[in-house]
Amino acid sequence: MQNRSIWFWLFLTPVILGLGIVVVIPFIYGFIFSFTDWNGITATKFLGFEHYINLFQEDEFMDSIWFTVKFAVITVILLNFFGLGLALLVTRNIKTNNLLRTVFFMPNLIGGLILGFIWQFIFVSVFDDIGTLFGIENLQGWLSTTGTGFWGLVILTAWQMAGYIMIIYIAYLENIPKDLIEAAKIDGANGFQRFKNITFPLVAPAFTVSMFLTLSMAFKIYDQNLSLTNGGPFNSTQMVAMEIVRTAFSDHQMAYAQAKAVIFFFIVAVIALTQVYYNKKREVEM
Amino acid sequence: MKKFYSGIAAALLASSVALTGCSFSSGDEEASSGSEDAVTVDVFQFKVEFKEQFEELVAMYEEENPDVNINVKTVGGGNDYGASLKTSFSSGEEPDIFNIGGPTDVDEYEEYLADLSDTKAADAALDGTLTSVKRDGQVLGLPYNQEGYGLLYNKKVFEEAGINPDEIKTFEELKKAVETLDSKKDELGIKAPFAFPAKEKWVMGNHMANTYLADEFNHDVMEAYNADTVEFAMGDQLKRFLDLQNKYSVQPTLSLDYSQQVEEYFSLGKVAMIQQGNWVYNTIASMDEEFAQNNVGLLPIPVEGYEGSIPVGVPNYWVVNKKSEDEVVQASKEFLDWMYTSETGKKFVTEKFKFIPAYEGYEDLEIADPISKEIYEYVKEGNTLGWVFLGAPVGWTEGAFGVAAQEYIAGNISWEEVIKQSKEDWEESRK
Repeated sequence: MQNRSIWFWLFLTPVILGLGIVVVIPFIYGFIFSFTDWNGITATKFLGFEHYINLFQEDEFMDSIWFTVKFAVITVILLNFFGLGLALLVTRNIKTNNLLRTVFFMPNLIGGLILGFIWQFIFVSVFDDIGTLFGIENLQGWLSTTGTGFWGLVILTAWQMAGYIMIIYIAYLENIPKDLIEAAKIDGANGFQRFKNITFPLVAPAFTVSMFLTLSMAFKIYDQNLSLTNGGPFNSTQMVAMEIVRTAFSDHQMAYAQAKAVIFFFIVAVIALTQVYYNKKREVEM
Repeated sequence: MKKFYSGIAAALLASSVALTGCSFSSGDEEASSGSEDAVTVDVFQFKVEFKEQFEELVAMYEEENPDVNINVKTVGGGNDYGASLKTSFSSGEEPDIFNIGGPTDVDEYEEYLADLSDTKAADAALDGTLTSVKRDGQVLGLPYNQEGYGLLYNKKVFEEAGINPDEIKTFEELKKAVETLDSKKDELGIKAPFAFPAKEKWVMGNHMANTYLADEFNHDVMEAYNADTVEFAMGDQLKRFLDLQNKYSVQPTLSLDYSQQVEEYFSLGKVAMIQQGNWVYNTIASMDEEFAQNNVGLLPIPVEGYEGSIPVGVPNYWVVNKKSEDEVVQASKEFLDWMYTSETGKKFVTEKFKFIPAYEGYEDLEIADPISKEIYEYVKEGNTLGWVFLGAPVGWTEGAFGVAAQEYIAGNISWEEVIKQSKEDWEESRK
């Protein structure tokens, strides 16, 4: 640790300052405000844990947490499945490799709000027309029930993010030493065995990274939720982030929303850290 | 290598200094722009529909009054505006003129609201338009305009179906007309009689509920604001009207939204009726100018005892920030006065903003669009119901009644449940 010279601190200071000003200080402020009756402009009373006790008894908040958890589980599985699948596809020697990578990554470049509106059109109008044309009832009335709203959100997110996760897997897949694969081939391992015993263990670090990314992203989703279903019908597809924004800006309960945000932060932090810890343990050192 | 690092570090340092330098200087620049002793008034308003027209008016005012600078910032409707307004207050960048909705907003911002009783506009404001912004004899806001709503109908479709809109006064007559439309929908070329956007909680929670709650609170928003409970005395009528719209609408209603209702279905003539107000005129006109001008009529929502009445109210108020400097407060008041009481301003308000004026002195002026004109006729004859929903507890209209109504439409709960839940929520908020 000899190299903690003046340069070390010179490089670090802007980052620490930036992080402090836009993340740490506001977070501490928010934490303090969550114990008061802050209305967004002034706080007059200290309420202690009142908000925290209330929020655990509020159905709407608990429902939104439960909905978000279900959503996160499904999307994390789907995203990693499709991400790895696409990555395996585009790391093979096919001619359109680069084109395919671009195409798969593209949805990620469109903003969540716009994507939401595009998919809303697809679910509501296109699905409905196809359903009417072929007489498939399951395709009609999308987004008007809780179930279709849920799957709508899952499809949208998987479609948007799979390409991004693919990029991470590609980076790790291309790092796998060719000689290992070759040796396995000579030993007579078939494609499935090669994947199971060589590729899969060696991309374990990619799992750690992309599971963390997908998990935290699935929890924090807001814009897609807003533009696709807007929480409807009857707030049953409302995720935690949206519930907190509603509490703050529709119900004007800033401090209460802040308390919810603190709880939300702890839930996401605990889940994400546990996941990273366990994933790390089963990584293979090369 | 070391040289490389130090080079980068120096560059970083230099750029960060330059950046902070920028952010500091920009504040001064803004303040010093314009002529020497000009007064700068920051307006923060929410009505996206008339943003350009409003800026045009401001430019005219600035030309007449070179010593006043007006900066307009517009942030679009509903939640977005409320959130941005709150953010600008908590960050210390308080606007000098801004908008509030009703009595609950007055509570929220009371310490910032200047007394506007001495303005000409306050004198000219029509009876009843100031009740929700009066506190202790002070007038804290000036009404934007009046708005009204009902069932907008497609005149051509009604004619082809052989329905005379003048004969529709009661619920039974409306129901008969709807059934006729429904039975002829293939020959009329419509998908359904209604487009009912149950996805939009405000359509049910604000406007539909208001129609049947107005009587209960004597058409007085302040009475609703002070009420400890809500009775739903006309709950049955509310239910049958909701059922009618829901049953005879393009399905599924729960994923049908406002823009589909107005643009896709009504403006393109795919439905015969929608429940909306005069604010949709510009949207319809942007889809089909000719249709908007000649083919849109307005039917009152049937309420027993109030047949032929339209709910009319003031949706928003202009307020002036008391904590701004005195000369800024003065300049703000003068500007608002000019907008609503000068000849130029009045002409602009009716012709360009297409407002239904909430002030006296507009008798000789033509209201621009046909829907507003029709509503103004109802106002002149006194056939109006009050807007009481702005006096409901914060978040009640959408968060309680709107959500419950959606659950009812989905078949999850009974109508009794809807009433019970909404009532409980109201009482809970008023404790």
